[in-house]
Amino acid sequence: MNRSAGQITAPLGEPTALSRLAVGLRALGSFIRHKPLGSVGLFIVLLFCVLAVLADVIGRHDPDTIFEGSNPDYKADPTTLELARNPDIGSPVIVEQFLEPSGKHWFGTDKFGRDIYAQVVHGSRLSLIVGLGASVIAVVGGLIIGMLSAYYSGVVDLFIQRLIDMLQAIPFLILVFALTQITEASVLNMVLWLGIAGFAITTRLIRSAVLSVRESEFVTAAKVIGASDLRIMVRHVLPNVGAVLIITFSIGIGAYILAEASLSFLGAGAQGVPSWGKMVQAGRASLDLHPWLTVFAGAAITVIVLGFNLLGDALRDVLDPRLRGV
Amino acid sequence: MQQYILRRLIGAVFVIFLTGTFMFFMLRLLPGDPAAASLGLDAGSISPEALEARNAELGLDQPAYQQYANWLWDTVRLDLGSPFSKRGVTVWYEIGRSLPYSIELSILIMIVGFSVAIPIGLLSAIYQDRWVDYVLRTLAILALAAPVFWTAAIATLAVLQWELFTIDVIAQPHFWEDPGAAFTWYLVPMFAGGFAGTAATMRLLRSQMLEVLRQDYVRTARAKGLRESLVITRHALRNALVPVLTVMGVTLATIIGSQVILENMFNIPGIGNKIISAFFGRDYPVVQALVLLIAVFVVVTNFVVDILYGIIDPRIRFS
Repeated sequence: MNRSAGQITAPLGEPTALSRLAVGLRALGSFIRHKPLGSVGLFIVLLFCVLAVLADVIGRHDPDTIFEGSNPDYKADPTTLELARNPDIGSPVIVEQFLEPSGKHWFGTDKFGRDIYAQVVHGSRLSLIVGLGASVIAVVGGLIIGMLSAYYSGVVDLFIQRLIDMLQAIPFLILVFALTQITEASVLNMVLWLGIAGFAITTRLIRSAVLSVRESEFVTAAKVIGASDLRIMVRHVLPNVGAVLIITFSIGIGAYILAEASLSFLGAGAQGVPSWGKMVQAGRASLDLHPWLTVFAGAAITVIVLGFNLLGDALRDVLDPRLRGV
Repeated sequence: MQQYILRRLIGAVFVIFLTGTFMFFMLRLLPGDPAAASLGLDAGSISPEALEARNAELGLDQPAYQQYANWLWDTVRLDLGSPFSKRGVTVWYEIGRSLPYSIELSILIMIVGFSVAIPIGLLSAIYQDRWVDYVLRTLAILALAAPVFWTAAIATLAVLQWELFTIDVIAQPHFWEDPGAAFTWYLVPMFAGGFAGTAATMRLLRSQMLEVLRQDYVRTARAKGLRESLVITRHALRNALVPVLTVMGVTLATIIGSQVILENMFNIPGIGNKIISAFFGRDYPVVQALVLLIAVFVVVTNFVVDILYGIIDPRIRFS
């Protein structure tokens, strides 16, 4: 292909439709230009998504592998006295616990000789699954309940409102902690309970959005021509609360990730998977001796939550300027 | 107005009732045997007779609806019962012991939070969309993003490494008992908690300031040649602060029960810490009473703030 500069590919005077990709790219370009902080957030979020998907490649080691090295104090036939002084003296290999960050273990190793870099990389999976999953549940649940509550004002609305008041009267972390105690500590249960505890906030936001749309003339017009309630909700109300849905979804994620880390820190987190909150908790006791146990995991939480918050704020500004600063 | 207050009051009482009921049945769904836990043992290691006797002693042998009716009647009479895990004290005694710690910590956190948030919100509104604004907002969001248990742990490490002061987490003094020891004990958690809560207040103040700065009376003040500093402090800030101050009450109510992690880390025997340990020990009366107490705080402050709002600002009409 030898295309000379300045050659016009489309004939003059004929409007060309931009492909969907081009439209998307232009929107992205404008987002990056106008919302530099939001773009940083987007970059961070994408980075963690890549980490989570390719954790097995990027993580370098398996997060559960216990590393062992040769024992420098090894003695073939230790006496009882020597064994009493150093119980490990009889074994030729020893768990490489609390190794400092090095070329082999970028973030060092923990108490059980596991690679911390691998655990931090794999921990992104739990955080993303919990954050996204809980937010999806909270928004979908909030949408259904919020719409019902706003549309059928009256006794139903009043009762739902009081139920939401109840959920908001209990501190979020204590509520989630209480709920997670009912079932076994699996990732799925964690996502479910976080999402359900998040209902209160999303329902309230979506309800007020639906209330304002319900008063608009096009809904009245739809009613006049005899549209059913279901049709009005799906065809007229739902498209007009889309922005609120996206905003509620994106802003919640960071909070759910933080809540998951806090629960894991308190010992109520999901069992059997690498979790940043658990790592911070495990390293806290010996923070002065082995700071790498705590620092990297805590930094990972901070950066991913920062990313989602920056992105959420920017999306809110772009999609609904009226909500700015709320 | 009176009708509105009455309706809100009924709603508030109903919400408190719902919270108590919810907690009551949620606790009964928990796995584990509270009678065994109250003796500090596994259910398997006690003879069935002893377990039965303990259950009868705690009233857990009755059917659930009977227990619920008892609990409701006792709570209405403000009798919160006795903890399962301790003999010879009432739940009221436990509340009296832990609540002052939570209130102390919460007030300190609020002082730090507001004294950071107000200047930052102000500056970021004055220098809107300039680098000062960007830096301050990023810092506030960063403080919100960092988990408190991490920032508090690193701050503690810094204090210990540089030997700035000693943190005694055993003595648990109140301010009126030993101000110095109490202050060093609360210092790290109060800053960790305070910074984490800055972002919300700062954003609220910033958006309020931006709105107020566009008002006619601010333009008038500038037009008559008033110094910019006076325009900002006397005309703009005063008006922008009103909504910020109204959220203070609600903030305090929610902070009191939310410091679970900081209380846990620094061995502060406050409400949040008590709730978690009572949960692990399946101490039903303590969990029920403390969660209910927090709910009462939140509901009552919300109620009072709403009513006061209407009195302060006559433009708000109740319907």
